[in-house]
Amino acid sequence: MKPHVVCDATWRSEDKMQEITLTINGQSVKGKSGDTVLEICRANDIYIPTLCHLDGLTDVGACRLCVVEIQSERKPVPACNYPARDGLVIKTNTPQIEKYRKQVIELMFAERNHFCMYCEQSGDCELQQMAYRYQMDNVRFQGLFPVLPLDTLSEFLAIDHNRCILCGRCVRVCKEVAALRTLDFGGRGGQTMIAADINQPLGESSCTLCGSCLQACPTGAIINKASVYKGKVAECKSTDTLCQGCDIGCEIKVMTKDENLVRIETPDRKTPRGPLCKIGRFEQLTESRARINSPMMRNAKGELKTCTMDEALNAVAKKFAELGNGCGALTSTRLPSETINTLQKLVKDTLKSKMIDTIDGKDYRLISSGIRQYNNNGATPEVDPDIEGILKADCIMVIGANIDRSHPVIGNLIRRAVSQNHAKLIVVDSNQDVFPLWSDLWLKPETGTDRALINGLSRIVINNNKQLTESNSELCRVLSLYEADKVTAKTSINETQLQSAAKMLGQSKNFYIISGNKLSEQNDADLITALLNLSYLVQNGNGSNLNLIFLKQSINSQGAWDLGIAGKDIKTQKPRGLYLLLSDDKINNGWVEWLKGIDYLVVQASYHSPVVDLADVVLPSLIWAERSGSYVTAGKRAMQAHPVIQRSGSLTDEEILQKLIQKINVKPGRS
Amino acid sequence: MAKVKVQTAWLDSCSGCHMSFLDLDEALIGLADKLEFGASPITDFKHFTPCDVGILEGSISNSHDEEVAKELRANCKILLVLGDCACFGGINNMRNLFSTQDIMARYYATESTTKGSVAPASKELPGLTKVRPVNQVVKVDCYVPGCPPNASAILYALSELLNGRIPVLPGEIMRFD
Repeated sequence: MKPHVVCDATWRSEDKMQEITLTINGQSVKGKSGDTVLEICRANDIYIPTLCHLDGLTDVGACRLCVVEIQSERKPVPACNYPARDGLVIKTNTPQIEKYRKQVIELMFAERNHFCMYCEQSGDCELQQMAYRYQMDNVRFQGLFPVLPLDTLSEFLAIDHNRCILCGRCVRVCKEVAALRTLDFGGRGGQTMIAADINQPLGESSCTLCGSCLQACPTGAIINKASVYKGKVAECKSTDTLCQGCDIGCEIKVMTKDENLVRIETPDRKTPRGPLCKIGRFEQLTESRARINSPMMRNAKGELKTCTMDEALNAVAKKFAELGNGCGALTSTRLPSETINTLQKLVKDTLKSKMIDTIDGKDYRLISSGIRQYNNNGATPEVDPDIEGILKADCIMVIGANIDRSHPVIGNLIRRAVSQNHAKLIVVDSNQDVFPLWSDLWLKPETGTDRALINGLSRIVINNNKQLTESNSELCRVLSLYEADKVTAKTSINETQLQSAAKMLGQSKNFYIISGNKLSEQNDADLITALLNLSYLVQNGNGSNLNLIFLKQSINSQGAWDLGIAGKDIKTQKPRGLYLLLSDDKINNGWVEWLKGIDYLVVQASYHSPVVDLADVVLPSLIWAERSGSYVTAGKRAMQAHPVIQRSGSLTDEEILQKLIQKINVKPGRS
Repeated sequence: MAKVKVQTAWLDSCSGCHMSFLDLDEALIGLADKLEFGASPITDFKHFTPCDVGILEGSISNSHDEEVAKELRANCKILLVLGDCACFGGINNMRNLFSTQDIMARYYATESTTKGSVAPASKELPGLTKVRPVNQVVKVDCYVPGCPPNASAILYALSELLNGRIPVLPGEIMRFD
């Protein structure tokens, strides 16, 4: 059976303190008021079949499998949403009730077109399990055989309405966990269908492909196109590890069969995080780049040819020993801290060079110089709080981030804050509203004028608060340059919008700023400082912990930066030899141009790419699912990843680096 | 003790259920002492005579299937149906999403590689009907679903019958795929 979706939707606020006593199947059983009959039965190991119930979601009593007899009721009632009361006398397994349940299952099979023999979910299907349990070896009703559509246009999900039993789990999970409300019921009565938005194909709807509905669906009605027919749950090995799709680091359960990735799901244990996202659940399963299987080096004709690991490392060691401190290293931040640390040892201890940088080092230098400038105002600020805090925010500003593309899980947290906590959402983006239909205010400053806008808002906030004005006279003076009319002239945002933004900020008690990758494109450290100031002022100048989240590129960006390797831009240092530790990461064209100028380039990568074609020596590397190690993720949380598949005969990235260090350290003549 | 006489037939099906019966392997030797086959695709005798157990595979998809099912029912004391097609209609049910005319037109006109081919209309040929499970045409006593049912499920059902009980497959050995 599919595992249950884990979520933190809390739907009942009743007082659960009072103890009550019920009689179930002649047995005296204790529970708490506010519990449903189903909850009390489950807690006491009394089996009640369910299909539409999912732990953590609101119960609707749609499937009628959980019907029970209650003495005070004149007909069977669903246990899942019947509130338990003191003194209830309940029977859960009378022949009559079991007969009703079997009949319900037969009707479900007769209603739509269920063909187990070629269904992808056969074996993992809850409807099928129920039919087996109730020994349904024939259906007494004539099938309706409705002609129903298939929706397969979405990138990773397909909806087959033939297999849908209208339990509504997908509808509730979309509303309560994904906080999107994309899926809902369309039509009436017998014509009821699951519909996305205004009955659009899923691929054209507001679906963000978080896959919550996929994991919630009890049948094969919602299918994962990335893992169809790759293996049933029972045939798979399941390992808990860390998602390495972005810097958030969600816990994931990876199912594998014969060392192949089959599917990725939310782990069973309770995490407050909620759903996964398109990147974590689907994109990590689909890799179209060709794998590098063995080391390669250039032959006399200048062609890249396969060679042994020893040949490749000997060549690199010889050349690097020759170039000495003329060598540098550039690393992806998708790698664990241990590997990056070994790379640092290679550069600093073995080659005595100072040239080491990360691919996203620019972001680090931008943020840290922004923070240094802010330091002049007083205490050192602590930024990047725990991202789950977003759920408690009452006002959120998103600036320079295409969140649903780069960090969809943050997008989910924001939507949940807006829908459950009624948080105000301000989007600052000149091109697109990154949260269409969700944002309260969409500010579109002219390109490159974000700083003027933020400082303009800061000025209004500080001027509206006498206490702030008095305690921050210097800041007040600096900000006085950003008068509303000047800001309007520069940013072309009118004063009404400025004032309504400032009003939202002024009323906020728990304000979060979330900034993303578009910020580093502007390359403006003063903008970072302006954001820090705004965050500080909206928080009433309280404390040095600022609720300002800088979204980073990779899972271990923070960890790599903490190792102190991104301090200086390697592009300005002109290394003659370079060790590029790319692993399974991608590198943008800006780097490719620069790498063309390197005399001796060693690339350690998992996949073929234009950069690999430039290399003098190519070394293989493991991918995310094969490596283990420690990472520092968003909110400065230390996390561990475990390998989910083994690549036989391959050295880890760290082992390759260690071997290289050894070979360079061996003095000539002694070997 | 006299052997139990069994007669089988396949209707609209792939014959996979009969193959699955042959998958009983060495258990067949034990069964041979207790069972004897009358008309069946295995013996290739075509006409039913009175027997103890009738076994049907496949759904009722045309007038011929209906006739065979009725004939076997009239000749057997207990009717057992094998496989998803006989129990539920199975994969043949997909035809019920379209009208018989549409299917014939598609087969003989749209998809045919022979120009100008038309559906044969001879009265000698069985006419297509909607696909139905066997129990919508004749009374069925026991069911072994599966596509195909695995050999152990068939053995379970036959052993129950030989012991004088009407088999109802327990959930653990029931399969629809």
